[in-house]
Amino acid sequence: MRRRGIVLLAIAAVTASTALSGCGGGSEDPAGKTTVTFWQQKFEDYQQAWFKKHVDQYNASQDKVKVDLQVVPADTWAQKLKAAQAAGKAPDIATTSYGNVAPGVAQGQFAALDDLLPAAAFTDIKDNVKGFVTVGGKHYAYPMLVEPSTVLYYRTDLVTAAGLDPASPPRTWDELITWATKLTQGKVKGMTIASAGPDLGWSSWGLQYNACGRLPVNDDWSKSTATEPCFEKLLTFYKTLYQNGLIPKTPKVGYADGAPYGQGEVAMMAGGSWVIGQLKNDFKAMVPKTAVAPFPSVDGDPAKTTATLGGWTLTVDAKSKGKQQAADFVKYLLAGDPALMADFFKTSGFSKYTVRTSVDQALASNPDASSDPFMKVISDKVVPYGKQEPAYPWDISLAFGTAIESAMKGKADVPTSLKTAAAAIDDVIKKQSLAGTAPK
Amino acid sequence: MTALDSRVAVPADPAPDGVAQRDRRRLLARHRRDNRTAYLMIAPMVVLLSIFVVWPLIYSVYLSTFKISFYEEPEFVGLDFYQYVLDSPRFWESIWVGLYYALLTVPTGIVIALLLASFIKTLSRRAAAYMKTTVYLPAVVSTVVASVLFVFMYQDEGVINWMLGLLNSGPVNWLNDPGYALPAIAVPGIWLSFGITTLILLAGLLDIPENYYESAQLDGAGFFQRLFRITIPLLKNVLLYLFVTGFTLAIQLFELPLIMTNGGPVDATTTPNLYIFNSFRDLTPYATSFSLTASLMLFVVLGAISLVIFRLVNSDKAIDG
Repeated sequence: MRRRGIVLLAIAAVTASTALSGCGGGSEDPAGKTTVTFWQQKFEDYQQAWFKKHVDQYNASQDKVKVDLQVVPADTWAQKLKAAQAAGKAPDIATTSYGNVAPGVAQGQFAALDDLLPAAAFTDIKDNVKGFVTVGGKHYAYPMLVEPSTVLYYRTDLVTAAGLDPASPPRTWDELITWATKLTQGKVKGMTIASAGPDLGWSSWGLQYNACGRLPVNDDWSKSTATEPCFEKLLTFYKTLYQNGLIPKTPKVGYADGAPYGQGEVAMMAGGSWVIGQLKNDFKAMVPKTAVAPFPSVDGDPAKTTATLGGWTLTVDAKSKGKQQAADFVKYLLAGDPALMADFFKTSGFSKYTVRTSVDQALASNPDASSDPFMKVISDKVVPYGKQEPAYPWDISLAFGTAIESAMKGKADVPTSLKTAAAAIDDVIKKQSLAGTAPK
Repeated sequence: MTALDSRVAVPADPAPDGVAQRDRRRLLARHRRDNRTAYLMIAPMVVLLSIFVVWPLIYSVYLSTFKISFYEEPEFVGLDFYQYVLDSPRFWESIWVGLYYALLTVPTGIVIALLLASFIKTLSRRAAAYMKTTVYLPAVVSTVVASVLFVFMYQDEGVINWMLGLLNSGPVNWLNDPGYALPAIAVPGIWLSFGITTLILLAGLLDIPENYYESAQLDGAGFFQRLFRITIPLLKNVLLYLFVTGFTLAIQLFELPLIMTNGGPVDATTTPNLYIFNSFRDLTPYATSFSLTASLMLFVVLGAISLVIFRLVNSDKAIDG
């Protein structure tokens, strides 16, 4: 009967899809070879090439484990990962930012690596980075690199042409606005900085510390501090840059992409240290005309934080059926032969920082690693004052980023924008029961 | 019992009462047989709807009473998330954004489509065929492609600001100003949808007998009298359909703001679906349950809006033409 046929077909389809969705990571084929999936968030092109090269080498070096590398674009990462987790198909290994380590651990998302990796792998991690991957005394991620989120890039040729001295870059926000005003000429804008809420949410962390010495929540995450007057200065700074037309009003790319600077559309740029790698790889002609300085401080004090130390780690999924095999690959790639990671930092144009003492030693003999003028400025003047990324839920960062955007684009004045952010943050604290849950 | 059985079982009775009874039974049997065929015919759809719509809906309501974690035991929280959604200013703002977008696009789209359909109706067969194809073309353009095209057109150096420049005004910050962003998105929204609306209205217009207009004209009715006394009343059911489907589709808009503005600036283009999607992308268990509950609430809100439109525009059976 036709109806019965259709019903049987439907039942068969549902059964098949259920059976297929049950196939999680860490699967073993009949030959005894375990396949572990590795999701890598899409970064600069040279990074994809580096990951692929070393995954291929690992797969060729032994016949017990096959690592299946998948590159996932950043803008689809969250929904893809969540859908995979819901279907029981989360990747065995994933790139995870420092800021997402502690929240992931709170949800039981990551496997502790202490039993899966040798103790020596952890003693090699630099002391200032250990805390980024440790929760409750256990390591839940293996760090790969550190990169400050905000430094100032400027075009020495345009600065000289505008009658400014490239040897003494702006030190205060007021001076930066003066520079940006003088450098805004014709189609070239004075500078570029984040102007969309989600970008501002994370890229302004360093400047939030700079303005107030803290983020807009109190230490035990029980109350928002967004209405403190010091944050008004931060919003006013962004608002001036936007409303005076000193930054592009319709940016074509997000904060993380240094292309507008590379293409000569702006004279200065607030960007992460990773942009150095982008300039060296994609905009070589711009490198000799570029200088780097710490991002100016609210009051000119160079010892105040201007950047958070962001970066990436590899984590192993708590539900992986091949935890040991996944951890073995993490050990091979990040915690094994220092020459491997030394190769990575070389490929990146030394635009990122090592997290292992042994990798520093491997690079000691490479003059490029220590002589790069850009990295010297960042190492000496930005990194020492950098802070760890916040571990609270993204909603809080987004609420504050939206407040900055609201003030910039005239949706509300500065105090009202901050009040709205404070109310939104308090709402997140209440509904997600955050009070008292801040990692110690 | 089949119709044949009933004929055999009932003894022959020449009395008028017997005839009537027999006819009634025959009718009843036929009715039952018709019903059975009808049930059989709708059964596949009922089964599929039950599997893919009704059951997931019931299960979603059940799941919305938990704080869902993919790694730990879900925590039962009752109706807490319903309260969180109802409390959330961003959820209501997104509903307003959806309604504002629907108000910008649906009436405008219908008026443009009605004018176009009226124009096409007056054309020769060949010209009408050409116009119909031309008008329908935007409907087959991918929303993604249209979004990207309009993003380029709205740039500072884009064609729209270039045209404004010829009039000595602008450039306008179309996609990055909270006041302009949603109207700027409404333009491709109207452009993409008016093709189908035009064809539906044209079909409705062609259904109105020409002699109504001829006699109205003989009675001295002008263009507007004919429009308001004949065309619009006879298109009432078509218009109702277009309003209800147009509103529900417009409120559920997703791709255009996702690609053109990502919901910004300052949430000015965060439509309900985009808001739910962005909530889902957050990696906390709270966000998973919140986005699920918000979806269910949106379902209720959309149902309520459709009901209001039905009430406002009373649906009549078509007057026979």
